Amino acid sequence: MIRPTARDGDDAGALGRSAGPATLIMSSLADGAKHGYALTKDIEAFAGVRLAPGTLYEALSRLEARGLIEALDSEDRRRPYRLTAAGAEALRAQLQAQRSVAEVGLRRLAGHWGTA
Amino acid sequence: MTPAHGTTPPGSRRAHWLLRWYPRNWRARYGEEFTELLIAEFAEQPRSWRRAADVARGGLFARLTSAGLTSADLPSAGLPGDPHDPAAGQRASLATLACSVAVFLTAGATMWAQLAVGWEWAPPAAPGAAIAMAVMSAAMLLFTVLAVLAAAPAVAAAALASVRGQASMLRRPILLMAGGALVLILGGRHFGNAWPGTGARWWPHQGLVPGGVAAFSWACTLSVTSYWAHPAALASFPAAELAWMAVSPAAMLCLVTGAAQVVRRVRFSPRVLRHEAWVGSAALVGMAAFAGGALCWVIERGPEPRGPGPQGLFRAGHIDAAGLAVMVIALVIGWQARQRARRAGPPAAARPAARR
Repeated sequence: MIRPTARDGDDAGALGRSAGPATLIMSSLADGAKHGYALTKDIEAFAGVRLAPGTLYEALSRLEARGLIEALDSEDRRRPYRLTAAGAEALRAQLQAQRSVAEVGLRRLAGHWGTA
Repeated sequence: MTPAHGTTPPGSRRAHWLLRWYPRNWRARYGEEFTELLIAEFAEQPRSWRRAADVARGGLFARLTSAGLTSADLPSAGLPGDPHDPAAGQRASLATLACSVAVFLTAGATMWAQLAVGWEWAPPAAPGAAIAMAVMSAAMLLFTVLAVLAAAPAVAAAALASVRGQASMLRRPILLMAGGALVLILGGRHFGNAWPGTGARWWPHQGLVPGGVAAFSWACTLSVTSYWAHPAALASFPAAELAWMAVSPAAMLCLVTGAAQVVRRVRFSPRVLRHEAWVGSAALVGMAAFAGGALCWVIERGPEPRGPGPQGLFRAGHIDAAGLAVMVIALVIGWQARQRARRAGPPAAARPAARR
């Protein structure tokens, strides 16, 4: 079983247990505000993952409560969300951590299995 | 996506039905937009059991979060006061802890009152039952002290909040509490005194606990009985007693719901929150001791005492085993809520230094 090494509240662990959906949502919001359905479609397009409604809103409510995203006013019933400055920082830290893991993995793969 | 005036978009009813999985405060904040998302999903894929299961799981998780039983942050809307209230999660956990103590006490007091009333007639013949009763009685005394310790600062904080203009927010839970407590006290006194076993005999000094206390506890927990499974026997009960058996659980529910709402709504100071968390920890210790004593009694198969009173009061039945199971579940949930309250509390650096 994989356990996160960062405790709740630590910067590196700001996305917590919902890091998967949270990273996808925040990556989607990195280029501008989106509402729930637009988030689902965008994430499906760039990651090939379809977030189910319950999972999407569980992550959205958690990110909003932590101040990493914020809801914008809207005239219709679909409320868009955008990334906050704290959210952008947390996303950057998360993606850099993922990139370093990916780089190590790719390097070791290349050393033992050759390049594709 | 936006419906024309006077028409309901297809799937709207199903979306509203699915939304009911979520707690009220969550629906108040996210309900509209979540419904819109579901309607859009239905248009793309009309039927999906995976999606329904995901919504149900998300809704149950949101309910657990709203009860302070998960480490997730609470959604801000629907909670009174500042939407970014950092102590909301801690208060929710403490409210859940209080509810679990109340459920535990209802099941525990039923057992304890039966044994206390039995002892009014004759001491138990089996040593296990006597030891169990002594442990359970000590725990009940502890619960009484802890109830006072928990209520005093909470009442003071609630009074202060009322003075500061939060009276309208607290009116309903306080009325619920007061109404429930009043009905339980009046009804418990009436039916306790009317019972021939121990009625109207305060401090008779023939049992382990005062007869009046035993009779009052018995009357308040009269509804917890296996007679519900035997309607023919139940039909022979006096109408007033049957009515009390229906009213007393409702009164208890009002009392507990009102208390939990007060805990969730009043903005206690960090010091009061720490105090309440400490009282909660002490209550958990008492619950564990009480459950241990109850287990001793339930598993013992000792002889019944010979006396003039009703027979079988010291014999544990299926309903007592079920009561013990309820107590254990309440203990586990209470312990979990206490852990969450501790984690949701202010960081150690924010706490004042301990006095030497």
